[in-house]
Amino acid sequence: MNRLLIVLIFALFNGLSDAGAETTLEKLDKNGTLVIGTRTGSPPFGYVNKKNEWVGFSIDLVEKAILPAVSKKLNKNIILEKKESAPATRIPLLQSNAVDLIAETMTDTQARREQVDFSLTFFVTGAQFLVKKGTPIKGIESIAGKRVAAQQGSTNARIIRERVPSAKLVEFPDQPAAFQALIQGQVQAYANDGIQLAGLKARAPKPDAWAVVGDFFSYEPYGMAMRKNESDFRHVVNVGLMDAIASGLYFEIYNKWFGPKAEIPYPLTTESKRFLQMQVVPK
Amino acid sequence: MDFEVIVNNFAFLMAQGLFGFGTFAGGTLRLALPAIVLGFLLGTLVGLARLSQRRWLSLPATVYVEFFRGVPLVMVIFWFWFVVPVLAGQALPEYVVALTAFVVFEAAYLAEIVRAGIQSVPRGQVEAATATGLTSAMTMRHVILPQALRNMIPALVTQFIVLLKDTSLASIIGYVDLTKAAQIVNNREIRPFEIYLFIALVYWFCSYSMSRYARHLEIRLRAV
Amino acid sequence: MSYELDWSVLWSGQSGGWLLQGFLTTLEISTLGWVLAAALGALCGALRTVPLTILRCLAAGYVEFFRNVPLLVWMFFWYFGVSPLLPQVAREWLFDHGAEFWAAVFALGVYHGARFSEVIRAGIQSIPKTQLEAALSTGLTIAQAYRLIILPIAVRLIIPPATNETLNLIKNSSVALTIGVAELTFQTRQIETYTAKAFEALAAGTIIYLTLCLTIALLMARIEKRVAIPGMIGQGSAP
Repeated sequence: MNRLLIVLIFALFNGLSDAGAETTLEKLDKNGTLVIGTRTGSPPFGYVNKKNEWVGFSIDLVEKAILPAVSKKLNKNIILEKKESAPATRIPLLQSNAVDLIAETMTDTQARREQVDFSLTFFVTGAQFLVKKGTPIKGIESIAGKRVAAQQGSTNARIIRERVPSAKLVEFPDQPAAFQALIQGQVQAYANDGIQLAGLKARAPKPDAWAVVGDFFSYEPYGMAMRKNESDFRHVVNVGLMDAIASGLYFEIYNKWFGPKAEIPYPLTTESKRFLQMQVVPK
Repeated sequence: MDFEVIVNNFAFLMAQGLFGFGTFAGGTLRLALPAIVLGFLLGTLVGLARLSQRRWLSLPATVYVEFFRGVPLVMVIFWFWFVVPVLAGQALPEYVVALTAFVVFEAAYLAEIVRAGIQSVPRGQVEAATATGLTSAMTMRHVILPQALRNMIPALVTQFIVLLKDTSLASIIGYVDLTKAAQIVNNREIRPFEIYLFIALVYWFCSYSMSRYARHLEIRLRAV
Repeated sequence: MSYELDWSVLWSGQSGGWLLQGFLTTLEISTLGWVLAAALGALCGALRTVPLTILRCLAAGYVEFFRNVPLLVWMFFWYFGVSPLLPQVAREWLFDHGAEFWAAVFALGVYHGARFSEVIRAGIQSIPKTQLEAALSTGLTIAQAYRLIILPIAVRLIIPPATNETLNLIKNSSVALTIGVAELTFQTRQIETYTAKAFEALAAGTIIYLTLCLTIALLMARIEKRVAIPGMIGQGSAP
């Protein structure tokens, strides 16, 4: 009886390391579905709009730029499936095969590259703070001792913890809870990437009551994350993005979400545009 | 206080959140109902195993029950979220992960209810059954279980109420149940007091009706 | 996909400290929540059995209202829904002194208070009526009778179901992570996000919870044997 138990546990552990030896492209070919992890509360990258539809810039990029590239490569029509992910859950979701691609607001960092691989950078921003207009907080220099919210597992939380240990950091499992806490005053500032804060501010009940403050206290290039050692899949994803940038599709999508008529105007700087274009290597 | 936000989003909250119809493939009831049925089936097997004379059945069953009763449901949900897709070798919808977690977790509690139900049948019944020549298995099937079932029904209904409330924890992994639907609406509208009060009332209504029904059953069955 | 087990992440770096902090926070919210729950539970459980209808109804209302709503909803409600209603001064003070922690304590305490009250009510109702009658006939008021005779007996009778509810409370403290309380389950997730070792982190958390719950269960079983009232049949072990 004891021996049986030991054999079973041993098999379980082995099973954990050997399971899923197929590549991502093989998996997509088999299932016909690309499962992405994206956000439900981070406008305009991934969120639920007033019509209760799950939409966003990152979602559009996958649907319009990457999915066609994958379908072309596998020679079959691949459909898109969305699952919710958050900073604390996205890497586990990838590693457990629950999702194949993280298409949200994930910053490409060297530390993360030890656990996952990233696509090309598809958006550039930096970390700032969202505060009530008029508070004395002006940036990372002025948050010592103040109550600051961040999402559990985000780069912002890590940086604040390391650089300003005296700040009272409260970590929430997701963005909506953190924003709620800011609105009601449980915290005095919310740290996140500038563009996401702009998104929250634009959709707040009284946008003028809020301000995004501080110089970028970190450089946040967004990439799409996937499992390590999947160069074929990564190549297809990058080809999708590169084709979109080269053909102008990327800029169309960008305009839809960040253009002058969009909810959160965030003009593409010449520098950022050049950076994106230079990522497109010749055919 | 502005309850218009409830009126505007009532369809979304109830249809998607409570019942599970719509694009998000969620639903509190869609999770709770299969969970109680499957949990009961698994729980009955485990409960019977616990009562068995054979140690190779009763020991694992006891470990199973004591294990799942000693860890928080939130932890169990996280375990299944990471481990199930790895063992299955492929991605699974949150629904399957949540359902599996709930079935396995609730079965531990239901096993105890089943065990208590079986033990509440008077020993005389077993003795009489053996005297008429029924085997042990036949006694269980035709004499003990039917009576035990009758005794357990109020406790089962109570456990279903517990399960209904526990489904709110599925929202933590992104399953769109009533609580998650409320969060989705709240993120947009920022009216937490009205929204959470509303879903508190919906849960309250469901649970309270079931507990009244349980009490009604208790009275009816006791009279027999 | 391959996953390599690496148990050293649990003691290298900050993981060990986080697990300890999380464990202590879990103990803190659970203890404070328990005190609140026990007080509310004893009060309402007793009130549900007194002859005065109005008190019985009030207590019943409290129980039925709080018991039938999921704890997660209460967490959100107390933290997000109730704080805007407090006066500005109270709010400022609260936010500076761990609002998340206190909201969690209240949510746990009020919710489990409703459940405790049912356990205590069942305990009181299993005491023969003659005890109360005898107490009253010696000249004690109802309040004194409850305080000096009924409740002390009830408390010993209900040790198994009360232990069960206490363990439920400790396990339910994990729900506090949704409002940002850095308790044990939160910390296992934290370890996982910094080291990407989900299995090890979850295993560590699970073992700690199991040890805590089993220890308490064994301790209470011992205490129950010690304080058992000879001649009175206990409630038996609760499922």
